[in-house]
Amino acid sequence: MTRTPLQSLILYAVVILTLGLILFPVYWLLVTALSTTDKLYALPPKFWPVDPHWDIFARVWEAKPILQWLTNSLIAAVGSVALSMLVSVSAGYALSRYSMRGGAAMGMFVLTAKMLPATLLVIPLFSIFAKAGMIGSLWTLVIAHSTLIIPFATWMLKGYFDTIPKELEQAAMVDGCSPLGAMVRVVLPIATPGLAATALYAFVLSWADYAYARTFLVNAPDNWTANLGITTMQGEYVTYWNDISAAAIFVAIPIIVIYLFLERYLVGGLTAGAEK
Amino acid sequence: MANISIRNVEKSYGALNVLKPFSLEIEDGEFVVLVGPSGCGKSTMLKILAGLEPASGGQILIGGEDVTDLAPGDRDIAMVFQNYALYPHLTVRQNVGFGLRMRGMDSAEITRRVNDAAQVLEIGPYLDRRPKDLSGGQRQRVALGRAIVRQPRAFLMDEPLSNLDAKLRVHMRAEIGALHQRIGTTTVYVTHDQVEAMTMADRVVIMRGGEIQQIAPPEELFQRPANLFVAGFIGSPGMNMVRGMASGGRLSVLGHEVDRRAGRDGPVIVGLRPEHLRIGEGRAQFSVRPTLVESLGSEKYVYFDAGAPYRTESDSERSKGLIARVAHSGPIAAGSELVLGYDPDDLHLFDAQTGLAL
Ligand SMILES: Nc1ncnc2c1ncn2[C@@H]1O[C@H](COP(=O)(O)OP(=O)(O)OP(=O)(O)O)[C@@H](O)[C@H]1O
Ligand SMILES: [Mg+2]
Repeated sequence: MTRTPLQSLILYAVVILTLGLILFPVYWLLVTALSTTDKLYALPPKFWPVDPHWDIFARVWEAKPILQWLTNSLIAAVGSVALSMLVSVSAGYALSRYSMRGGAAMGMFVLTAKMLPATLLVIPLFSIFAKAGMIGSLWTLVIAHSTLIIPFATWMLKGYFDTIPKELEQAAMVDGCSPLGAMVRVVLPIATPGLAATALYAFVLSWADYAYARTFLVNAPDNWTANLGITTMQGEYVTYWNDISAAAIFVAIPIIVIYLFLERYLVGGLTAGAEK
Repeated sequence: MANISIRNVEKSYGALNVLKPFSLEIEDGEFVVLVGPSGCGKSTMLKILAGLEPASGGQILIGGEDVTDLAPGDRDIAMVFQNYALYPHLTVRQNVGFGLRMRGMDSAEITRRVNDAAQVLEIGPYLDRRPKDLSGGQRQRVALGRAIVRQPRAFLMDEPLSNLDAKLRVHMRAEIGALHQRIGTTTVYVTHDQVEAMTMADRVVIMRGGEIQQIAPPEELFQRPANLFVAGFIGSPGMNMVRGMASGGRLSVLGHEVDRRAGRDGPVIVGLRPEHLRIGEGRAQFSVRPTLVESLGSEKYVYFDAGAPYRTESDSERSKGLIARVAHSGPIAAGSELVLGYDPDDLHLFDAQTGLAL
């Protein structure tokens, strides 16, 4: 299909507008980081600082344990991804392939769990973790984040597995695979885009959390995640927004890296050619 | 290679009984085709043979060994699926070699066998492509390659040609036939296309509603259908069916009487193949007014009405009336009188109640 010049124009206009909307906050974050404190509230706002303070990144990196916060965030996120993928791949596959009594009801129940606001679970989870003596441990985040991720991830993966023809596993079994072997050797490789998308969702959800980290970890500074750490930079009397912005940029970088890494797996169409 | 015994195999999904007790002895090297209308249980039977579905009852032996409870991979059979089911993430080479790798064959032997299969099926040039970069016919060959490379005791094929266009289907039909000639592996082939059944099979099993209607070589199926269903199913266009009355060696049908012994007196269903009707020839003759004449180039389909007393409850194909399939012989006009004739020995007689051949 070829586009007329007008259609191209409209298309590009929409794309550029959307990009602008999405990227403006990121751009503003950078501007804020590079400006000196007194310029921040200038009116009219400056769209690029006169003398950008690039050294702010090094300064913030040294002043605050950013690396440790990032590591903690990473441990929580990777742990959440691992735990929730393990559970939701198995559950999603079972829901997709095996008809069991109450399977559909279970599926719906799993989805309704997703409808509860995350904050509603903070208190009960806190009391459970407190009883288990886990408050202050990063494990609380892995478990809490997984409880949020698993319902939706299971549903997402079930939908993805549904699109993979059953005959592929049957062919694999005739070729000598066990049911588990057929899943591992045939279904999972084909489901890579679905797995990548789900893992990304899980990672981002965990990485972006603040409420749980704040509740479970506030008294354990060694285990602070990046989001929690940054909020502690907000002073009671003065807040250095440029410092906070610089730190926020550090926090955003891993997400971008993860995305770039997973991006190639996110492309669909891997089942093309299986049939017909 | 091996013979296959299916002994009283049945299958129910809950209360739904999709296969009535099914028994069939398939000889070593035989090409057996299961044919029947959609939903009659052909695929179910094949999946039970493959071990992909458990049977609700009965026993399956391959090469004398009871495989009823064996996993699909332990039955030493290969299956070709209707939608090919090629592994999309693997190259053609890996697809074909997958079953060998799963069986722990060493890689030199795998390479050798894959190359042999590729040569037989002429897929050599595509060995390093992914299935998505192949045409329908090429995918079909890869699916066949995946089966033959294993050198299994039997092939199970579920409508392997139904996704191909008409021309390619005819071509691949011949290729599968030739392949079977060459390697002679016992094959169970499922189709709902009677032409495939008739041209490829050593024996055809006609099924309907989970029940075997007749097991016979193609010729016999055509010449001596066991019941009305088989008679109507085999042949294109389908057999004409009209009501008749038998008494004392005479048969009254279509307004005239012919010499034909029915074995017993009373109402019968008379079957007459469209190709057995000729214009103005034959020991029995009757005149009709064609309602419609279709010319197919080399031959014509002449449709006519049997008249109310002779009509049977017709299936959809026969809703236009009876059909005579005649060689092209000058113009025939709908509505003007035409004399048709046949040989009474060509009639098929069926019990009007049970539908069984007399
Ligand atoms: N998993 C299942 N649960 C319930 N009923 C089923 C199941 N699989 C098949 N059936 C039913 O069993 C019957 C036979 O199905 P089968 O797939 O064997 O038909 P078929 O002869 O292969 O038809 P087609 O020519 O359309 O492929 C059908 O009525 C079908 O609805
Ligand atoms: Mg079928």
